Amino acid sequence: MIKSLQKIYKIEEKGERLFKISIEDRELLDVIGLISLNSNFITLSQITCTDWIEDDIFALNYILTTDKKDKNLMVEVKISRKNSKLPTILNLFPQAEVMERDLHEMYGVQFIGNPTLYDFALENWNDIPPLRREFDTLEYVNRHFDFRKGREDNRDVKAEIKKRRVKAKRLKNAKK
Amino acid sequence: MQEEGFIEYQKVLENEEHIIRSTQGVIQKIINWFRSKSMFVLAYGTGCGAIEMPPTFTSRYDIERLGVIGVATPRQADILIVSGYCSYKTLKRVIRSYEQMNEPKYVIALGSCTINGGMYWDSYNTIKKLEDYIPVDMYVNGCMPRPEALIEGFVKLQENIKNAKKEVGYIQYRENNQFYKNNQKKIFGNNIKPSYETNFAGMNL
Repeated sequence: MIKSLQKIYKIEEKGERLFKISIEDRELLDVIGLISLNSNFITLSQITCTDWIEDDIFALNYILTTDKKDKNLMVEVKISRKNSKLPTILNLFPQAEVMERDLHEMYGVQFIGNPTLYDFALENWNDIPPLRREFDTLEYVNRHFDFRKGREDNRDVKAEIKKRRVKAKRLKNAKK
Repeated sequence: MQEEGFIEYQKVLENEEHIIRSTQGVIQKIINWFRSKSMFVLAYGTGCGAIEMPPTFTSRYDIERLGVIGVATPRQADILIVSGYCSYKTLKRVIRSYEQMNEPKYVIALGSCTINGGMYWDSYNTIKKLEDYIPVDMYVNGCMPRPEALIEGFVKLQENIKNAKKEVGYIQYRENNQFYKNNQKKIFGNNIKPSYETNFAGMNL
């Protein structure tokens, strides 16, 4: 299968067990359908997303696995960050439901045709999706929580530890 | 309105005057002693601390010898253990379980995550101080605390119950209810339902 795909697409070989194809978003369903129906890459094990904020794109990897679990094929799709829409692959792989729901919540990617794109792990989230890189975690935490003050007898012990180490070294040298 | 059975009894127990008046009384002492020796723990765990609870309850550490035993539902439980980090979604469930428990009820917070956030101090969806949202009677620190530490926490809590301390968590929750509710509203908005403020049996909140 990989050889026949090599005629059409450029396949990168990333080690013995990992292959990678880069495709465009409009041919996603066709390519994944073709691979899953005609080869032994029969199951979808993961959908990953990477935020390349410098290039203004999301890179989504659909990772397909063989029935013997000895080879993986990454199908990479790049979409723009502003208009991040993709067709769902629920018809091919039912397990994609949860993965797409998770990506929608964490990155804000819209999967057209998936009926379950509502709250998942974060309930009533009003801010921008938290795994986008423009989301400032520390600023958000400082805005929403106040921290406990340190203990009253909290001292900086680093200087003391250094002193003791120097002393121990001196003792060792003196013994020699 | 006259109520029957345990509700009436519950009211008598919850009446604060009764508690203050009878701290020196013999009957209250006996009741407190009974209470300290039969602590029903809600079988519920959040975060990684839940993995320390099975060894505490089973044969090696066998906390049942101190009168601590697990029960299935919040209606039967006296003690809620919040074991580890609490995300927003979990906290909502924790609060609902806590409000369903019958008084007297106590909370043990396990692990450093409940004290100051622990390793999740800069996480966007875990809380930093548990005591802002529900009253905590005993903190057990550590990451994670061993079963011995949890047992020591239980023993200290038993002493507190026996000595009938005035500042018990559930009384705080009843009196300063607005403080806790405001803190909860800060992170949930108005999405906590149902509100227990109005239909809390016979109490003026």
